[in-house]
Amino acid sequence: MHCLKQTSLISLSTATLILLLAAAPVAVLVPDSAFAQEPAAGLNPSAQESLERGHELMMRGSYLAAVDVFNMVNDDFYQAQAALGLSQAHMQTGQYAQAEAVLQRIIDDPADSPELATRLAELYVMTGRSELAMSLLAEVVDGQLNPPVRTLVQYGLVQALRGEREGADVQFNSALARYDGGLVFASADVAMVAVAARQLDEFHDANALFSEAVRLDGNNLEALVLWGDLFQEKFNDEDAQINYNEALEVNRRHAPALVGLARIESPERHLSRALDANPSSVAALTTFGELMMRNGREEQGLDFLRQALDINPESIPALATLAAQAAMNDDMAEFDRLLQRVNTFSPESAHFYASVGEFLGNNYRFTEAVEYARRAIDRDPRNWYAHTVLGGNLVRLGQEDEGKMHLEQAFDNDPFNVLTSNMLQVFDVLEGYATLESEHFRVNMSQRDAQVLWPYMEPLLEDSWDQLVAKYGFEPEVPVVIQVFERTEDFAVRSVGLPDIGPLVGICFGKVVTLISPDTLSANWQEIVWHELVHVFTLQMTHNRMPRWLSEGISTWEERLGRPEWGRRQGMDLIRAVQQDRLLPVGNLNDGFTGANSNADLSFAYFQSYLVVEYIAEQYGFDDLLALIYEYAEIRAESDMFYNVFGVDMETFDAGFRDWIDQRVADINVYVHAEDSPDEGEGHGHGVRENSSAILAELYNSESLKQYMQGRVQREPRDFQAHLQLGIVLFREEAFEEAITHLRTAHGLLPDYTGYPSPALVLAQVYEAMGNEQARREQLAIMLENQQHDFNAPITLARHALETDDLDQAAYYIDRALAVDPYRPEVHHISAELASRRGDTARSVQDFEVLLVLDQNDPVASRTNLAQAYLDNRQPDDARMTVLRALETAPTYERAQEILLQAVGQEDN
Amino acid sequence: MNARMISMSSWLLLSTLCLALPVYAQPADDEGTPWFQQRIDSDKYAVIITGAAASGEIAERFRRWTVELHDTLRDDYDYGSSNIRILFDEGQEVDGVTVAGSSRVDDIADVLSTLRAEVAAGDQISLIMIGHGSGTFGDAKFNNVGPDMTGAELAAALDGFTEQDMIVINTTSASFEFSRELSALGRVVLSATRSPSERYDPIFAGYLIEGLRNHTADLDRNGRVSILEVFNYASGRVAGWYDEQGRLAIENAVLDDTGDGLFSREPGLNQADGLLAEIAYLDVIVPEEEKASPQAPALRADMQSIEREIFILRNQKQNYLEDDYWRRLEALLIDLANRTRTYNALP
Repeated sequence: MHCLKQTSLISLSTATLILLLAAAPVAVLVPDSAFAQEPAAGLNPSAQESLERGHELMMRGSYLAAVDVFNMVNDDFYQAQAALGLSQAHMQTGQYAQAEAVLQRIIDDPADSPELATRLAELYVMTGRSELAMSLLAEVVDGQLNPPVRTLVQYGLVQALRGEREGADVQFNSALARYDGGLVFASADVAMVAVAARQLDEFHDANALFSEAVRLDGNNLEALVLWGDLFQEKFNDEDAQINYNEALEVNRRHAPALVGLARIESPERHLSRALDANPSSVAALTTFGELMMRNGREEQGLDFLRQALDINPESIPALATLAAQAAMNDDMAEFDRLLQRVNTFSPESAHFYASVGEFLGNNYRFTEAVEYARRAIDRDPRNWYAHTVLGGNLVRLGQEDEGKMHLEQAFDNDPFNVLTSNMLQVFDVLEGYATLESEHFRVNMSQRDAQVLWPYMEPLLEDSWDQLVAKYGFEPEVPVVIQVFERTEDFAVRSVGLPDIGPLVGICFGKVVTLISPDTLSANWQEIVWHELVHVFTLQMTHNRMPRWLSEGISTWEERLGRPEWGRRQGMDLIRAVQQDRLLPVGNLNDGFTGANSNADLSFAYFQSYLVVEYIAEQYGFDDLLALIYEYAEIRAESDMFYNVFGVDMETFDAGFRDWIDQRVADINVYVHAEDSPDEGEGHGHGVRENSSAILAELYNSESLKQYMQGRVQREPRDFQAHLQLGIVLFREEAFEEAITHLRTAHGLLPDYTGYPSPALVLAQVYEAMGNEQARREQLAIMLENQQHDFNAPITLARHALETDDLDQAAYYIDRALAVDPYRPEVHHISAELASRRGDTARSVQDFEVLLVLDQNDPVASRTNLAQAYLDNRQPDDARMTVLRALETAPTYERAQEILLQAVGQEDN
Repeated sequence: MNARMISMSSWLLLSTLCLALPVYAQPADDEGTPWFQQRIDSDKYAVIITGAAASGEIAERFRRWTVELHDTLRDDYDYGSSNIRILFDEGQEVDGVTVAGSSRVDDIADVLSTLRAEVAAGDQISLIMIGHGSGTFGDAKFNNVGPDMTGAELAAALDGFTEQDMIVINTTSASFEFSRELSALGRVVLSATRSPSERYDPIFAGYLIEGLRNHTADLDRNGRVSILEVFNYASGRVAGWYDEQGRLAIENAVLDDTGDGLFSREPGLNQADGLLAEIAYLDVIVPEEEKASPQAPALRADMQSIEREIFILRNQKQNYLEDDYWRRLEALLIDLANRTRTYNALP
């Protein structure tokens, strides 16, 4: 049996329990004990059989058949039960009016028919008539000495919906008291008590009660789904999924279970199935609408939401999503209109505000998200969801202390929310981290990174700052907060609240940047830092309104300008995309990100976005690019923005871009074979991309492959892939000269190719095998002109440069190696040697300080070297303290002894 | 720490005073037999037993380790060739080294028996085992040629060396239970693995030899490599190798030098094991060149005395406030450094 856990796994969406209860039709097998009267002697067996059969059919999802069977019940004694069953069957298929009619026909005095009246009230709520529902339920509650548990709970839910929190709590407590008094037996009623417990924030009890309800009746689909919703609300998708699937095993057409499952996996498929079963499922329509909006399909999303509101004008999720979208569009008039609509039935609804806040936060509008979350809390300080929304968004704005306070408040009262507990755990991680500051940055990183990475990160940050401020004419708010995490899970949780973030390695929130430590990566970390810093500028310039495609396009474009070897070179991907007509219209570029189904798709989205920016810069100039950026600071139609800046409409702009792309493809002029697989790398694009076909050629060279590729180059002399693979195969056969011919041809076709293995890399290996070290080094240097993620090649070249006294060259390649991996001792050994040769005593100290952290094999030597460096740099006190620690281990080590005497001598002087 | 350990550590502390200079033999007695006293007139021997190999590739690796170890002991530790006894596989010739016999149980027993007749009190014997091992408690074996040797059998063969310092280094797979049977008071035992389940061929031997070669593992820069130093070096490199490969470490070297059969993964200061290993050196003691200056002996004695104080202070570190400790240590180190400088300048 699963239980509500305090920390758990993965999901990115949730729904509120109250609105699911309000909006979702429910299927309940009403047990016999729910009825007030015992069946009289001489009962009509066929009527009871019909009832049982009707419920059985309904439970299995045969709703229309169930309707027929319930209609066959003519015995007056069973009319109420038949009406209940009939109304439920109609509700399951969205026939709310018919369901209502069935109940209204049979209810004389609501107080005399509490179950029927309660069901009717639920229908009123589902169709946006909460006021009517409330008065109906009040009549039942007032007219009954012991109203049914369901009535109490439904009454409480309606009161809560309408903002009458205190009244609602009275009903929930009454339901709980009924249970505590041993007066609740039936599964359906126990489930209702669970709902009451959940409303009173007694989540542990709610979990236990749902468990009991399901144990009493494993076919209680309502209980299963509500329990699943509770798990999902706490981001425990694993247990939620179990529940939904259990319900669907009983009834695969159970719309509430399908909607719940849609929030975890295969959303479109499950929602479509839910709407097939119940075309009027407000939960399904709303969820579909939210899904469409999240994926940038605004029109479709709006359509679904309007359909939901047509059925239930009081659907707070639908209204909140529409309102949030209006806020995103800066259409505050529309926002206010929707708010007023909510206020008519649920004044200043905390849930409304919190939902708006969450939506805005998920769309990078953190400042506004904070504002609405605060309003939610003002209205209802017990809305722990709002506290989580507020806390999370404050953290993204760099307001850590207040953010933590709200998260702690949320956790103290709802320790089952995985998102909240995860985010608080990251605070624990950060407490052990160092905080380092420079003029414009405040950086949190591990103690190890503080010693190894910071010496190289600090100058990069400040240099980048100066360059970007000068270029963009804009100074972001300071300090920019940067958090560097050693563990990918901590990075993910700090960024999105949950431990899985896919292939991203850095995220910018405008004022805050989160990064994965280079110690965990195998990519050029400096390029990543630069990329994210550009986001800081462009996001703040547009108050976080810039669309993702343009933000990524500019950051990727700026990589190329940061260092010549940075940036993305995906010529073959471009050719392939043009051949397959995969290029997106500029107006739909965001779809490339939201609709990416693989790392390759995501990587291409980055690449195409960068190409558009490069096109703008090339054709129109940087000033126009800058103007376009500022256009996004205001919300207006993108076509208007483009026209304002470029003087053309989007279609014309797109046509120009396509022509430019065609010319680019023509300039590349490489044949791409349709069957060749594209290079694969991380979706974010930082890191080496692997040419799987070439790798296989390396591993499994064969005569047939050789012949095949020879045939290909004969047919298509500009077949890069064929020349590369031929070169590899021939190299493995030690036919070096032939290999060189093909590899040089491949390189000539695509000189900036950076996949692994590249022609230059293989040529270097060929020359190494031939014993031609000079040619090998030349090829490594050629490779490094476009390959920014390699560590070993710059180390090789740096060593050689030192050997030949080319100190400037050595310095260049040392920096290249440090840009990839500053955690390898060898680069610091070489750097220290260079520093020594140049008499750069300060740099020598830096290198040996880092080596002391990295090189644990010989601490005596490391400390002694560092002490010598301190001495040379006129830091006698540091030299003394360091060498003492070396001598503590090796008191007779004469070299260290001499350093000690010199250090003491220098101090005395 | 129990009484035995306290007395042992005190004795060991005194022993460390003798490290800088050759010390003349002190009479041994039953109660306080000094171990690893490093006397100039003591001989040091090495017995390398290389067992059967499971494949040609492994056989080549074992051969290479055997030769490298022999050459390192000869070239870097001043072992005479006659002091290195090699029992190799089936007894076949190996280029560059003299093979005393095969790895059969009989040959091992013969060589050890012969050695027992040759050695004197205070001599040191290092027994290094290269090969495959197997076994569980009570049935641990070394896979030599012919019937496999058990730990008990080898222990019995070593029992006769009552007046010699003994170092056993077992680099085989699943070496732990075998090594445990060899644990004895005054003996330093290294095992490349810490449990019978670590049955894949370890890489420990390679790093052990690397640490010995050119005194690479001499971390305290006293010109000698102690067993503790080379153990720490090799086990550290092994862990680093698995870490670099992104693999779970399937071998964990351990050491016992208290004779209680309880091995430590991280022997050293403030640990149960490591005190004896710290003063057990493979190096043959070579007499230092004598200084002509009449001041030399007294100055040398002063240096020894300061070293003694440094070791005592270091071993009592936890009893001092940090500032006080470093102040005292610094004073001693400066004094030692000045005297060393003066001594080196003497004719």
